[in-house]
Amino acid sequence: MSGVSTAAYLARRAAQKERVRILYRKALKDTLNWAVHRHLFYQDADALRQRFETNKHVEDLDTIDRLIANAEATYDKWRHPDPYVVPWAPGGSKFHRNPTPPAGIEIVYDYGREDN
Amino acid sequence: MAVRAALLRHVRVPLQTLNPAVTLTGPKWGPPSLRWMSSHDDHLTKNEVTDRVLSVVKCFPKVDPSTVTPDVHFQKDLGLDSLDNVEIVMALEEEFKLEIPDKEADKIDSTNLAIEYISNHPMAS
Repeated sequence: MSGVSTAAYLARRAAQKERVRILYRKALKDTLNWAVHRHLFYQDADALRQRFETNKHVEDLDTIDRLIANAEATYDKWRHPDPYVVPWAPGGSKFHRNPTPPAGIEIVYDYGREDN
Repeated sequence: MAVRAALLRHVRVPLQTLNPAVTLTGPKWGPPSLRWMSSHDDHLTKNEVTDRVLSVVKCFPKVDPSTVTPDVHFQKDLGLDSLDNVEIVMALEEEFKLEIPDKEADKIDSTNLAIEYISNHPMAS
């Protein structure tokens, strides 16, 4: 019984850790979207890191879940309306701009000068 | 007039006929070769990826540069925590102009995995 509960505890902890990592990643990217310049971004990133570090040693699972839910709500509220997207990625400025031609079409470089 | 003609005869540049077959199908224009100023065919080699990944990891403030090797684990070997791991992966994304999905970026926890992922990524540059 205790083995089952330990496994359940560990699984829940792992899920929480993954949620926190992904939340931190998204929030960090969003920080860069709001503070476009690097010298502003570094300070904001430090502040964000501090907000994560303050709750580093919380042990109670339900408290952790509540904190994560609050943080995700805050992230959603302050999400940037026009985030930076890498140009080739979906939503980027070069997405589908230069698609590969359909199969069966080829460029004849020596048109009119063929050997035969 | 006569002087001009005599002068021109001496300074005339010999005419060179360009072989059209060479210019059109030579190495500069043929489809399989590398085109100048082209964004294609610029895939990174694995050595280049390794060098750049290692330089990014060495530049991370909490890392001792002398301990970084191509098969080092961020959290076990370098003494970082999971949020530092997230920051390193984001720095790698910016270095290689990538956008890694969150779930996949979460799996990258060592230089070995990072090098493998980036060198296999078609858009890494």
